[in-house]
Amino acid sequence: MTRQVTLRVLILGVFAGVLSTGCGGDRDALTIYSGRSENLIGPLLEQFAEETDIAIDVRYGDSTDLALLLAEEGERTPADVFLSQSPGTVGFLAERDLLAPLGEETLEAVPSQFESADGLWVGVSARRRVLVYNSDDVSPDELPRSVFELTAAEYRGRVGVAPSNASFQDFVSVMRQAEGDERTAAWLRGLAENDAQIYANNNAIVEAVSRGEIPFGLVNHYYNERFLDEDPDLPSRNHVFPDGDVGSIPLVTTVSVLAGSGRSEEARRFVEFLLTPEAQRFYSEETFEYPLAPGVEPAARLEPLAEDVELGYDIERLGAELESTARLIADSGLEE
Amino acid sequence: MSAPALRAAVAAVAVAFAAPFAYLAVRNAAEPGELWAAVSSARALEAVGRSLLLGTCVAAAAAFVGSACAWAVVRTDVPGRRLWRVLLPLPLVIPSFIGAFALIAAFARGGLLDRLIGVHGLPVSGFDGAFLVLTALTYPYVYLPVEARLRRLPRSLEEASRLLGRRGAATFRLIVLPQLRGAILAGTLLVFLYTISDFGAVQLLRFDTLTRSIYANRLLDQPLSLALSLVLGLIALVVVAGERAFRGRAHVESTRGAEPLVVELGKLRWAVAALLSLPVLIGLVAPTAALTYWAVRGRGLDLADLIGPAVSTAAVSVAAALVSLVVVLPVAYLTVRHRSRVGELANAVVVAGFALPGLAVALALVYWTIDAPQPLASAYQTLPLLVFAYVVHFGAQGLRTAQVAVAGIPASLEEAARGLGAGRRRRWLRVELPLATPALLAGAGLVLLSTMKELPVTLLLAPAGFETLATKVWVATEDAFFAEASAAALLLIALSALLTWLLVLRMEAAP
Repeated sequence: MTRQVTLRVLILGVFAGVLSTGCGGDRDALTIYSGRSENLIGPLLEQFAEETDIAIDVRYGDSTDLALLLAEEGERTPADVFLSQSPGTVGFLAERDLLAPLGEETLEAVPSQFESADGLWVGVSARRRVLVYNSDDVSPDELPRSVFELTAAEYRGRVGVAPSNASFQDFVSVMRQAEGDERTAAWLRGLAENDAQIYANNNAIVEAVSRGEIPFGLVNHYYNERFLDEDPDLPSRNHVFPDGDVGSIPLVTTVSVLAGSGRSEEARRFVEFLLTPEAQRFYSEETFEYPLAPGVEPAARLEPLAEDVELGYDIERLGAELESTARLIADSGLEE
Repeated sequence: MSAPALRAAVAAVAVAFAAPFAYLAVRNAAEPGELWAAVSSARALEAVGRSLLLGTCVAAAAAFVGSACAWAVVRTDVPGRRLWRVLLPLPLVIPSFIGAFALIAAFARGGLLDRLIGVHGLPVSGFDGAFLVLTALTYPYVYLPVEARLRRLPRSLEEASRLLGRRGAATFRLIVLPQLRGAILAGTLLVFLYTISDFGAVQLLRFDTLTRSIYANRLLDQPLSLALSLVLGLIALVVVAGERAFRGRAHVESTRGAEPLVVELGKLRWAVAALLSLPVLIGLVAPTAALTYWAVRGRGLDLADLIGPAVSTAAVSVAAALVSLVVVLPVAYLTVRHRSRVGELANAVVVAGFALPGLAVALALVYWTIDAPQPLASAYQTLPLLVFAYVVHFGAQGLRTAQVAVAGIPASLEEAARGLGAGRRRRWLRVELPLATPALLAGAGLVLLSTMKELPVTLLLAPAGFETLATKVWVATEDAFFAEASAAALLLIALSALLTWLLVLRMEAAP
């Protein structure tokens, strides 16, 4: 009996503790909605809080879900800053006038192709589109030189794609800008007719390739680097399409300040901090993403982006084009 | 509680649980054309068809597996009964996206099992894969209430039946099964609703259900996504009403203290144990093994980081389970003891709410609180609102089992207690509550386990910086930090086992 009582008292105590910490965050703290996971931003948040004495409240989540949350909250949002994994979600918020413009000085820290023209967001890091392949099944000299080759007969049923994934959709939007709608639509139809295998997301594709279920997959470079970090014996490798092929363009992750922010001064300081060489080095030293600030090199094992990389596309339009891109993908037969 | 007071309480519960449906109705009313276009398109209808097919098949399979396991554990002398009682409910705690991902890694071609012993036989994609994974993860919804019911089944009826010369099988069909019907139906309905609302498994296993369209379109075409969510909610309401009509009013009795009749299996003991191990192998051991493999493979794990999230997870889950019990008990009483429109309405919204996507439940509560007058608005993104959201989302699980519990209280006892002059309160505390306890705890256990793995509501509505083990798992998986994700997932499973044992099994067993 006494043991039961002790147990109950213990449980109640834990309750009370958790409930008292959980009732209402720090209302004065800078509130960040982060579509980037803790591993890819957490240490920077701590560093910023320490250096500036600005307290930070952070909510991690899926970029898309957080964008929907921000749209539902509107002007009353407690959030000051939105970190997104892809420009598409930011476009959704920009259309609804929920973002505040960043200052000129902030925007100058990053090459202009990595920011929105009206200054509503700026790139923080980049992920590159690549072809992940199984090096047990494919030798490097067999690799295609362009993403357009994947519709050829020899790739029939051997390529994995994730058509409902934001990164594939952003990539298709880029291809439309660089190569035109007609060629993009033909390529998507070609993939569908070539029996491309459909997966849920980048992780699922890399996992299937490393297991030998399929030899090729179209993904962001980041995921296979992570897989190899967990298990260096895996046979999956990244292939960068050469000569500036549209199949290996970089896609940026972004930061923006919300129009409803009551702490826009602190929010802007935070954005500026993310673009300092010191913060950018986190991406070259601790993660496998590409830093964007000039002068900071990516991790040694990554093939560097070309000097003064010409994106060949207007990143701004990715958000606005999301819906028509999704329609193009659906019409090709790749996605239901 | 007097009948009018009970009705008033139930009406309040109904209003609270109607919040997500009201949100979907309001948002769709803004664009009624979209709703019609969505429900009448061939693509949507096909997706609805696939959802219903998957839901029906998984529900039927889970009904069989869950009932059979419960019967074997309570009514036979299968070896290791105490162990099975802890293990069998556990697949429920594995989030479906983790279960599906781990099963692919374990059973697919080139997967862990293939590399280990050269075997890959289980289907891990399309309908077959979704059917297998969801059945393995949801049969505990049937197992738990049926097990609770079996333990309170009076042995007198069965003994009488046997004395009258009926064989075991006939006694089972004529006496035991009708007494279990309510519990089986309750669990099966929950499995059906879980399956049609699942996104994690169908997405990874590539089976195109209605939820996949809802998620794929949530940003691209929000009106379509909202229209399809409403369709999902309406389907759930229809199914819940249908089940209510089908449930009937079989007379059930509860007893306590008596040891259930046990069938001696003889030589079959170990064969039955082997069969019991099948759902545990697929729903628990395989995913756990894959998780352990990833966790061990990774380096430099910092387990200290997980203590805070583990405590938070336990606290909010226990809170959600207890609040659910308190909230649904009046609804259970009203629906079982009285005929009442309010009761039917409350039953429908509470149970159907389980089928709504978590994202819709979360956004609905954002919508209703962010612009609300004080003090409601200041509850936004605080723990009380989070617990409320869990209760609205998962209350169905407490309600259906509570109804089974209340239906099992024999009227004769109540009359006897009244005859002896016991007041209403005393009768309830001393007679009814103890009889209903096992089933009520089973229901609370279901809410507890579901809350522990809940994701979309937690991510959007928890106070900033409030982490649970499920959010830890998800955040790490998203960016392919598998060792970290696996460690958190394993801790989640262990914590669930511990809480299930402490709060459900141990108390159930108390005389």
